[in-house]
Amino acid sequence: MVPFFSAFIYALLYSLGIIGTLNDGFTLLFWEEVLSSGEFVSSFLYSTLVAAVALFISVGGALWTVIKFKKNLDGKFLSFVMYLPLAIPGVVAAFFTRQLFSQGGFFARVSYQLGWIAKPSEFPDVVNDALAIGIILTFVTIVMPFFTLLFLNVYKNERIAELSVLAKSLGANAKQVTLRVCLPILLKKTWVLIALYFIFLLGAYEVPLILGRESPQMLSVLIIRETRQFDLSKISEGYVIAVMYTIVVSVAAIILFLPKRKKVYEN
Amino acid sequence: MKINWKPFVLSILVILAVFPFVYLTLLSLSSGWRFPDVLPSYFGLKNWHTILGSEAGLLKSFFSSLLISLSVAVVSTLSGFALSRTVFYHKQKRLLSLFTYFPYVLAPVVFGACLNYFFLKMGLSGSVFGVIVAQFLIAFPYALIFFSSFWNEKIRHYEDLVATLGGKPLQAFWKVLLPLAKSLLLICFFQTFLISWFEYGLTSIIGLGKVQTLTIKVFLFIKEANFFYGALSCCLLIFPPVVLLYFNKRYVFKNLV
Repeated sequence: MVPFFSAFIYALLYSLGIIGTLNDGFTLLFWEEVLSSGEFVSSFLYSTLVAAVALFISVGGALWTVIKFKKNLDGKFLSFVMYLPLAIPGVVAAFFTRQLFSQGGFFARVSYQLGWIAKPSEFPDVVNDALAIGIILTFVTIVMPFFTLLFLNVYKNERIAELSVLAKSLGANAKQVTLRVCLPILLKKTWVLIALYFIFLLGAYEVPLILGRESPQMLSVLIIRETRQFDLSKISEGYVIAVMYTIVVSVAAIILFLPKRKKVYEN
Repeated sequence: MKINWKPFVLSILVILAVFPFVYLTLLSLSSGWRFPDVLPSYFGLKNWHTILGSEAGLLKSFFSSLLISLSVAVVSTLSGFALSRTVFYHKQKRLLSLFTYFPYVLAPVVFGACLNYFFLKMGLSGSVFGVIVAQFLIAFPYALIFFSSFWNEKIRHYEDLVATLGGKPLQAFWKVLLPLAKSLLLICFFQTFLISWFEYGLTSIIGLGKVQTLTIKVFLFIKEANFFYGALSCCLLIFPPVVLLYFNKRYVFKNLV
């Protein structure tokens, strides 16, 4: 906790002009400038949206995969293959996306050979694009395999297969079994991890650094850009954003982990 | 006749999972790949030979990464196990465990940017030891959280039983707790090793570009638009975890939920 609070207090003091090169003493000027520029708000909304879309697709895809293919995924070969994407870090995933989807990348070359495009610029730009498609795609490739394996494990541990048979024997149809038995159990047992992953994606750095645009930028990229720039008079504004981001994730951690959660299902 | 589409979808999933490994390996063996060629003009071991030389310093980066990750994994696993007992048997368990989540939920790169001043003052910036200390600060809370499920009533009863039979706390630790936690210690070691092995942001801030781990190298090669060496660095980065995952895949998820 000491390093965390030290880091927070340092950033707070810097943001208030109490410490730092070129700062003269306490001032709220940097806070006013950041709040009036709207850069934090737009970056926060952009990061939230990207993280939410990526997480929704990942969790949705993982749920669909587990519910449809649970029996197949138990096989020795498939169960190992499903673990392979976990060996790919963010920086490699971003590099891979860039290699495949950039305008000079693998798919652009294939499209050219198939006669679909005549020059690289005609290939749809999903790297450094305005809609953050490249970032979302990369997040999904990192996060979805993790949730697939997680849901698969919950499916076994919570005996959802047996509960589904029971529900069917009581007259439920396949749709009711999925919507009223499988999904509620899977989501209730994993919602904390889903929320944690949202926070992780909100603060993701490598992927948006490689695949993102100059503006808007995701939060971590913006904070590092501001705190490490050559214009020393602007560094305090970077720490204002760092303080606000830290408060947001700390409040999220308190909401997630402080209340005593009741055990949903007893063994 | 109803078409069974499951084998088709499963095949696609398998291809998607394996494709990055195949593509990056092939890219690391290539050079001279100009648009619009679908295949490169050269395939061979030329790039891999540079690993043994000093041109790109990749072998050095590989061993730096290995040293940093092994150090972080060993220290955070052992200290996390030893201290988690105090945290999770404490009266203020809920508050203390909440505190362990703070450094864990904060983006490591932002944590690094705010901590950098202290590392500079202590002379730790730009050194391998400094990077190990910085990565320990994020791996250690993970280890604490990881061992939270271990310290339950059943374990406490074992400790009480040892005390009733005349055993000392140290004997309980070495002869009962450690053997019981053996598999968890191994998983935590793997997980913290991977946290460190995959770390980029914090390493770049604290390492000041002087400590060039493999993730730093990948990023440098992307900046230089040297995709072949970039792919080679990626291969060195992703294949060791595949071996680790093969060994611990049976245990990884059992303790997450």
